[in-house]
Amino acid sequence: MSESEMLSMRDLMDNQLETADGRMIGRVADVEAEWRDGGELVLANLVTGPQALAGRVAHWLEVVMRFVFRGRFERTIPTSEIEGIGPTIKLRGRAEEYLVGQSDRWIARHILRYIPWSGYW
Amino acid sequence: MSTRWLQVGLGVITAIGSFVEVGSVTTAAQAGATFGFGLIWAVVLGTCALVLLLDMSGRFAAVSKRTYAGAIRERFGFKFYLLPLSAALVTNCLLLAAEMGGTSIAVSLFLGSEWRRWYPIVALLVWLAFWRAPFKLIENGPALLGLLALSFWVGIFKIGVPSPGLVSTMWHPHFQQGTVSEYLYIAVATLGATVSPYLVVFYSGGAREEKWSRRSLGINRASAVLGNGFGSLTAIALVILSAMVLKPLNIGANTLNEVGLSMARAMGPVGSFMFAAALFATCFGAAVEVLLAMSYNIAQGFGWEWGEEKQPAEAARFNTVGTLFLMAAFIVGLLGVDPVQLTLYATTFTALVLPISLFPFLIVMNDREYLGEQANRPWMNVASVVVLLIAFVIAVVSIPLMVLSGGGG
Repeated sequence: MSESEMLSMRDLMDNQLETADGRMIGRVADVEAEWRDGGELVLANLVTGPQALAGRVAHWLEVVMRFVFRGRFERTIPTSEIEGIGPTIKLRGRAEEYLVGQSDRWIARHILRYIPWSGYW
Repeated sequence: MSTRWLQVGLGVITAIGSFVEVGSVTTAAQAGATFGFGLIWAVVLGTCALVLLLDMSGRFAAVSKRTYAGAIRERFGFKFYLLPLSAALVTNCLLLAAEMGGTSIAVSLFLGSEWRRWYPIVALLVWLAFWRAPFKLIENGPALLGLLALSFWVGIFKIGVPSPGLVSTMWHPHFQQGTVSEYLYIAVATLGATVSPYLVVFYSGGAREEKWSRRSLGINRASAVLGNGFGSLTAIALVILSAMVLKPLNIGANTLNEVGLSMARAMGPVGSFMFAAALFATCFGAAVEVLLAMSYNIAQGFGWEWGEEKQPAEAARFNTVGTLFLMAAFIVGLLGVDPVQLTLYATTFTALVLPISLFPFLIVMNDREYLGEQANRPWMNVASVVVLLIAFVIAVVSIPLMVLSGGGG
């Protein structure tokens, strides 16, 4: 990505997150920016999770989600992990390196392994 | 080259074989049994829209390489995406329960005893197909068996030539007193059964599963246009057969057993067998397709790993959400509503929410960022919007009328 490329929120929000090993781990629900010394506002993290998604729908729903989940499922990915931006955001690491999308593995390990022919090994 | 033509042929044949399912069987039989040929126009109109939408759906997947639900969320945002998703959850839940009910009735026609006894076994079979069957088998297996529905035409030839009076109902439908609302209701149910949004999601998901590229555009158009064009003839055949057999006997096709009578009368036990086999194959195939379409929709919208070709543990959220959805539909089917009635609820509701389900997709189909020069031509937009609006307007008019009169099947 060139230094001068301008991005809008549309280039990030709701885009697919794909890891270096080609796994689809989720979509961007929100972003976090950092106000740095020197007056620079820098995009810091991509955010996923039910609370962030609920906030996109209605504020009260976010409050409810915060009360229910207490941020337990909210995950962030630092922007330094971004390899390339497009409709699919490519990440530098492999799927197991990110907390985002771990629920896929959790469900496989704790539920699907007990169901026949799930392919769990 | 020959492999390519084989693929085109298979695409066309499977589209023909999978055209009818519980929705089109129910609505076509009720249309014929009640209004003669007077509602064939609804099948034709619905098919035109379906052909356009499926062509778009395949073209979208082949050119943009994006997923259907993913594109809706990327283009409109998460909040808006929840709208078509909610519409799909309700319609697909009713439809899946109805398809499994239709499959169960087909089994009971073969093996006897009440269809409800077979319902849990059918649900288990649908789940097994979803859980482990390869995509090609789901796409082609039931559809090839579904070609038995072409026997509806044999039934017509066995019965003979329809009377001129009956033929004239095609352009001059006969209304007895108070049947206008029923006419509109069946028209809207027919449109809802034909223009099935789940097919659009299933078709685009399937195209991604099979890694379609621009080279696949020919197969796409051939199977959309020829397959569904010829496929609609099976639904039209059932309208004609029901009009010739059931209407004179005042049998309203209110149960699938009654629908099967038309084939039994035309061809005897062989006809009954053909009807039951076609019903089984098409409803079972459609049940798995509805389930897959819903799972595609959710997993793609939320950006999860998805795909029928992957082991369930490799796409755990996709397979879990599909299993949970099947359970929900299973419970809806246990509530005691007859599959025909459930089908009519599903198809009329589908028609009512068609604008919510498909307008966002039409807007995506005009986005050159996704499709470049393969974006929709203006006439495609106009034609699709006109049919969706016709279905919506008739639904808005007829559903309250049918609710007030306590009818609907």
